[in-house]
Amino acid sequence: MKQEKTILQEVLDRGFSRRDFLKMCTALAATLGLDYSQTNKVVNAMETKKRVPVIWLQMQDCTGCSESFIRSSQPKTESVLLEMISLEYSEVLSAPSGHYAEKSIKDVMEKYKGEYIVVVEGSIPSNDIYLMIAGKSARKELEHVCENAAAVLAYGSCSSWGGVAAAKPNPTGAVPVTDIIKNKPVIVVPGCPPIAEVMTGVIAHYVTFGVLPELDHLGRPKAFYRHRIHDKCNRRAYFDAGLFVENFDDEGSKQGYCLYKVGCKGPTTYNSCAEMRWNGGVSYPIQSGNPCIGCSEKDFWDNGPFFTRVAKIPGTQTTINPDVVGAAVVGATIAGVAAHGALTALDKKKKESKDK
Amino acid sequence: MSIPTIPNSNKPNVHHEHIHSKIDLSHRPEASYETVSDSMIKIYVWELPVRIFHWVNALAILLLMVTGIYIGNPFVSASVQEDAYYSMLMGWVRYIHFFSAFVFIANLIFRWYWVFKGNKYATSNPLKRGFWSETFETVKFYALMKNKKPHYVGHNPLAQLAYWIFIGLGSIVLIITGLFLYVEPQPESLFGSAFIWTSLLFGGDSFTVRSLHHLVAWGIMVFIVIHVYLSFREDWLEKNGTMSSIVTGFKTESKHVIEDQHDEEK
Ligand code: SF4
Repeated sequence: MKQEKTILQEVLDRGFSRRDFLKMCTALAATLGLDYSQTNKVVNAMETKKRVPVIWLQMQDCTGCSESFIRSSQPKTESVLLEMISLEYSEVLSAPSGHYAEKSIKDVMEKYKGEYIVVVEGSIPSNDIYLMIAGKSARKELEHVCENAAAVLAYGSCSSWGGVAAAKPNPTGAVPVTDIIKNKPVIVVPGCPPIAEVMTGVIAHYVTFGVLPELDHLGRPKAFYRHRIHDKCNRRAYFDAGLFVENFDDEGSKQGYCLYKVGCKGPTTYNSCAEMRWNGGVSYPIQSGNPCIGCSEKDFWDNGPFFTRVAKIPGTQTTINPDVVGAAVVGATIAGVAAHGALTALDKKKKESKDK
Repeated sequence: MSIPTIPNSNKPNVHHEHIHSKIDLSHRPEASYETVSDSMIKIYVWELPVRIFHWVNALAILLLMVTGIYIGNPFVSASVQEDAYYSMLMGWVRYIHFFSAFVFIANLIFRWYWVFKGNKYATSNPLKRGFWSETFETVKFYALMKNKKPHYVGHNPLAQLAYWIFIGLGSIVLIITGLFLYVEPQPESLFGSAFIWTSLLFGGDSFTVRSLHHLVAWGIMVFIVIHVYLSFREDWLEKNGTMSSIVTGFKTESKHVIEDQHDEEK
């Protein structure tokens, strides 16, 4: 069985040299945010560990997370896919379909009981009729597959928070994975889609250390969701200088000023776009001139419009311009107070004339 | 601002039908007073710490509001293109905002201490008998309806309620959300980890916390408009020097208010 080989053997079998293997491990360690001196830990793990079986489920999704994942460049996806993990079931990438696909999922669950990882892409509808897989409701399928899993990875904003399907008015009653799976560790990896290297990084961490990465209070891996985009943004100097793009074709936008006033959600968005960047570190939205839309944040579809600064009325999915509304309410109060003053004066006159 | 004058003592003020307030705070220190005429006294309502708090608070809120509006929507910026190197406008505005915020917080803590330490006009207790019925009478009074509102030397119960909601609760929400935003870039620091619960309390995400901070700040503005108006109105109707009292501490009141005190002591 291919599963019995170590990751190193798999790499060598594919015609890479040991030197290539070490390079891959070094890059991987850097992706994981490890110190250079820790590289040997990664090498060690890859030399001795076997591949992790993965079942990749797709719920109410757009396959964007899968697309992002297979574009991972660091470590090269083909190496992750083929050497680090063993993708046993994936609706997009598996060769078998129909009954064969269902059989393969069953086989994995039995053979690797308690060892396999379940990756979930997409939200789960509360109303079963919206998504049935092989005659089973999405919820049942998810519960069933996760039963014997070692851990569950929620890839993307849909499986992490509900995503686009949960946007107002949420017709399917979409909920995140954490609402359904309560008895297994769930790692939340939000983003629409998440950065490919972040997705592979989480798996690589599991392979290397055999334990799940350190998570923050919302269940996200700290290594990748510790900072806001705004804290690491390449335009931050312009923010502090008070130099802002006012609209998309002005001089400021050519100069690369901060995108705060055209609705940048970087100040409230936790993700590592500004550090890891996209497409192998080429660029990311803000670097390319588009404000951050905050895709890795909860309810980001309802936090818009994308190109305006707004505030959300807490507890609702409604956003307003806080200064316009605030100034209007204060204006109304001033008018009310003036009217009350006039009425008080009349009342006073009336009482005084009565007293005479 | 009107100078405290002594109303014609032969003709008692029409508003004073001399209804006693039932809210009993007699366990707290009484305010000192001087007799100025047969019927009038000068009573030391707002002690120095209260007045200092008031003006420091007012100044801090002014600075916080102006800088806060700029941070939310930077309405001025350099019109000539330049390098970020030469300017630090947002940086300075944020700095002033943070500095005033810490002044605001320290000042408020100090005021909370004085709630327990000061005279009976420095405190409020909505659980006391008569508080809510007198609040209702006060509402009728402001609605220009017939009412049985007693005359208050300090704050009437409705005003006290407004302080609880805006200066009490509003400030605390602003401080907690503000400190969360302040330490947000260092989630692993001592202070950063101490404020993680804030985002969970207010909905889990940074955007909601930020929005709440912004909206509650406007709530304080609404309070200020009403507060300033009603203070002038009180001054104008009662002619008791309400406006100057927040500078000097003294109000000029009818002697009855002292009789009230004695009544309460009985
Ligand atoms: S572009 Fe966005 S993330 Fe970058 S400094 Fe400006 S507001 Fe912050």
